[in-house]
Amino acid sequence: MSSVQRLEFTGNSHEPPKNRHPDSPKNREPYVVSDDLKKAVNLAIHLRRPLLLEGDAGCGKTRLASAVAYELGLPLYRWDVRSTTKAQDGLYEYDAILRLHDVQTRKVGEAEEQVNQTEDENEVRFNRNPANPRDYRKFGALGKAFRLQHVPAVVLIDEIDKADLDFPNDLLTVLDEPWEFKIKETGETIRANNRPIVLITSNKEKGNLPAPFLRRCLYHYLEFPNDPDLLKVIVDKHYEIEQEPLQSQLAQNAINRFLKVWNEGGLFKKPGTSEFLDWLKALHTFGSEPYDAERLIEENLLPYRELLFKLQQDWKKYAKA
Amino acid sequence: MNSFNPTELMTRAFTHLRQNGFSLGVGELLAARRAIAGGFGETPQELFQTLKIIWCHSPAQQSQFLGIWEFLQIPSTPETAELTPTSEEIDEIELTQNTQLPEISPPLPETKAEVKPEPVIESLPVQAPSFTSLENEDTFRLQLHYPLNRRSMIYGWRHLSQLVADGPPNVLDVKATIEQVTQQGFYLAPVYRRQMSNHAHLLLLIDQNGSMTPLHRFTRELMETATNKSSDLQPEKVNVYYFHNIPGNFVYQDLYLTKPISLDEILANCDNGTSMLIVSDAGAARGYRKLRRIRATTSFLFQLKRYSSLIAWLNPMPKDRWIGSSAEIIAYLVPMYYMDKDGLSNAIDILRGQSLSSLD
Repeated sequence: MSSVQRLEFTGNSHEPPKNRHPDSPKNREPYVVSDDLKKAVNLAIHLRRPLLLEGDAGCGKTRLASAVAYELGLPLYRWDVRSTTKAQDGLYEYDAILRLHDVQTRKVGEAEEQVNQTEDENEVRFNRNPANPRDYRKFGALGKAFRLQHVPAVVLIDEIDKADLDFPNDLLTVLDEPWEFKIKETGETIRANNRPIVLITSNKEKGNLPAPFLRRCLYHYLEFPNDPDLLKVIVDKHYEIEQEPLQSQLAQNAINRFLKVWNEGGLFKKPGTSEFLDWLKALHTFGSEPYDAERLIEENLLPYRELLFKLQQDWKKYAKA
Repeated sequence: MNSFNPTELMTRAFTHLRQNGFSLGVGELLAARRAIAGGFGETPQELFQTLKIIWCHSPAQQSQFLGIWEFLQIPSTPETAELTPTSEEIDEIELTQNTQLPEISPPLPETKAEVKPEPVIESLPVQAPSFTSLENEDTFRLQLHYPLNRRSMIYGWRHLSQLVADGPPNVLDVKATIEQVTQQGFYLAPVYRRQMSNHAHLLLLIDQNGSMTPLHRFTRELMETATNKSSDLQPEKVNVYYFHNIPGNFVYQDLYLTKPISLDEILANCDNGTSMLIVSDAGAARGYRKLRRIRATTSFLFQLKRYSSLIAWLNPMPKDRWIGSSAEIIAYLVPMYYMDKDGLSNAIDILRGQSLSSLD
């Protein structure tokens, strides 16, 4: 195992490392990290335990993984979990029918030992040999992370609560010692050379996650930044990286107005950070000119409120002001 | 000058958390030690953050841990004073688990004067239950106390499934395909199996209002988990009806007991494979034993038994409360269980028709 230098996440992505993996995100991610979150990520990196992120919708749980992978120059593998997802899908998929089909349409040659196992799965696809079962297996996010030779990967398991109740427990066996899984179709055992950094997001939609799974994970709750200064920092960073023009007075008024709405209460679904940023963008660019900053404060009616309120009762509440 | 020993403080925190109901194992202790060795616990504040991330798994647990941590920061607490708050704690826990008015325990203010008492489990402020986005947090918090949580309910309903392969033929059968190919010698098309569908039929009868009012949240969860997708029961095969105290000739289709439907009509849809689950305290909540109620319940049960023998009764009151009330008598007529994980799984066993220890 190659010597792993101590990886540290600082939230400061101005200078990405020199030798980045090709699968690492190419674009800088505008993300403002609180100290607690920084600590949680560094602990996850040090202990190599999965980090479970819960929090209000639209507060940046998923984007954290891109930010971490970009800053550390590590490859990012994303696994979007759906209601039909099984634990094996993240490890590998094996296409048995395609192999059967190929047997009928090609001549079966000797199983040629592929000397250079290319990492790029797409190349192998066009040159399939039915005698070699390895051509028909495709690795999922965790499988790819395990196969990396030199650096650990960042694996994002998105919205784990969407899946079946048993799904986290099935996953647990892979994310614990000895960090390996077997592929029964080819007889291989894939062992992790570098244990990946696993980030898991959850919305707590369907109730709790199982206790053994929770015990294994580190936990952090992402709160909405209910502070005008903090929101300003987020807005500034966002616009700096995207390099779009920002009207500071408009932004300030928008922040104040938004926080007023958020703290007023009585909403069935409170808007999150991502909705706020979309709203700010609409204020800047949707009309032919940016929205008048003074009007935003004085007028009772909220412009573009369909970006903020997604439920009928909330929308109506701010319709008549 | 205080010499700050992170490992020792961490171990003390670990034992306190375990006493307070956190499910932490040796793995978590070792992980905390590794974190400290990696330099994540230089100051008490940092150590607190580190341990919070590793050991707490929800905002509720985080605030509980904060209280315990502050209690631990007082260095000169004698061991005996620590013990007395703990025993009072146990009393208080017992009381809050019963649905009674909590008694004010007199010794507690005394110890408060000497040393800051151990924090109670209920450390989040109580909110009026609202059916908005706050609901998830509210329900989650209650699940910490009530013996039966949503997961157990869902697992219970899943066990009821009777899978029969009579759906549309769209499940790929790899093994059969390969066998067919080897027999035929060539491959034409894959072989499909029929999809399994769940033939379990559940009739859920829930007691509403009156003595069951404090338990509405849990009976609603029971109803929701039975009817939503995660339980694997087909929604048209789950019939939920409500009644008040005794079903009688009519039951109601809605929570507010406004849409009556006759019992005969419901039972006409049931056959001998229908599982019938009744959720009611049977008089155990208030403790009365009324002959009228017992007689009415008996005739109701006999009417049900004409259609199916898979009948079980879930009682939200614990077993020691049944004695002396109508529930005691009714428990002889039908298998009655307390509404916790074991009770629910025993009831589900009966509903599946596979219990070995049925009395009748």
